[in-house]
Amino acid sequence: MISHRRPALRPAFFLAHALSIIWAYPAPAKTTTIDDSGTQALEPSVSMRWKSAAPSRSGADNLMIGTTTIRVRINVTPWLRRSGRIYLDLPAQPPGPITASWITQGRFLPGQVRSGNRTLVYAGPIATPFMEDVLKFQFSVDGTLIRRPFPVTFHFEMDES
Amino acid sequence: MPVPGLRRALIGAVLFGAAVDAGWAYTATLAPASPLTVYLQVGVGSFTNNYINGGQPGNNTTINTVSATLTSAAVGDGTAQPMTTNSTATQSFWDGYTYCSVPGQVYIGGFYRTTGAATAAALVTATVPVALANATGDTIPFSKIRWTSSGNGDSGAEPFPAGAFVNGGVQNVGSMSSNTWNESCWTFSYLNNTVPPAGTFTGVVRYTLSAP
Repeated sequence: MISHRRPALRPAFFLAHALSIIWAYPAPAKTTTIDDSGTQALEPSVSMRWKSAAPSRSGADNLMIGTTTIRVRINVTPWLRRSGRIYLDLPAQPPGPITASWITQGRFLPGQVRSGNRTLVYAGPIATPFMEDVLKFQFSVDGTLIRRPFPVTFHFEMDES
Repeated sequence: MPVPGLRRALIGAVLFGAAVDAGWAYTATLAPASPLTVYLQVGVGSFTNNYINGGQPGNNTTINTVSATLTSAAVGDGTAQPMTTNSTATQSFWDGYTYCSVPGQVYIGGFYRTTGAATAAALVTATVPVALANATGDTIPFSKIRWTSSGNGDSGAEPFPAGAFVNGGVQNVGSMSSNTWNESCWTFSYLNNTVPPAGTFTGVVRYTLSAP
């Protein structure tokens, strides 16, 4: 009697085991930096000014802000006719925490990112070899961290699903 | 005869070759455009609004006065005489708080903004004539005028402390740490311990903010 019961239990056990493995180890999305060599700034540099001309009593309000317009053109040919998620990645970099926010003309999503993070700017099918938009950026940085002009680097990256 | 399956595979290989991470990145240069800003207000000043409401500092050319009028019986009796001002500045442009009281006090405040980590303090100096003078050339030494420093609800050291004028020269009257708002209320008095000739004695003190 016992030997008749065992064959009926075994398939269910193995199926549950296999499912648990599948759910525990989902395939990670592949992330690739996108060729943005066609991107151009409409101004040579970003003029940073005090957000508030006057400081606070505690000296805590030292934010400097600057805006610039950048014509973004990224080469998404490798993902043509597929779907993907495109992020704007602002790596952590000197002189310290930087925040970038932007508005777009509709091809990409508006958003905000703090250095060391990334923000989604597009999700969906890739239907053309190049994706373009004009982004108006506002950069914010603590004025006490800067003394002279400095570079800020960001890039776009694709997550393939 | 075409081999569609193979062709697609070859095209795919070429495209994936192009997708190799080539270290693409875009660089923008952030340049401090107007990092140094200074503001000093002695008496009345100008702001478009309070700081906490986004106010911006402006220029105000008003020259305020402090004065004391003594009766002949009181002249030189050694009792300090309080001086009053024609300044109407009572509220701090930081938040609109009524910080000074008029006509007994003169508001003095300001700031300097600069980029980079904390730097040396900015200095406020007074350029003082040797003496006050009347129409006939009689004089009273400027050192006969002194001031105390306070502010409504204040505690701790004042950025513009109490003092007395020198008899001619440039003297420090306070300092400001970078990127901080500083303010005090000065109450002037005439020492009244000598007997000068009768008359109206005047003199002009110029205050200067010097940022490093």
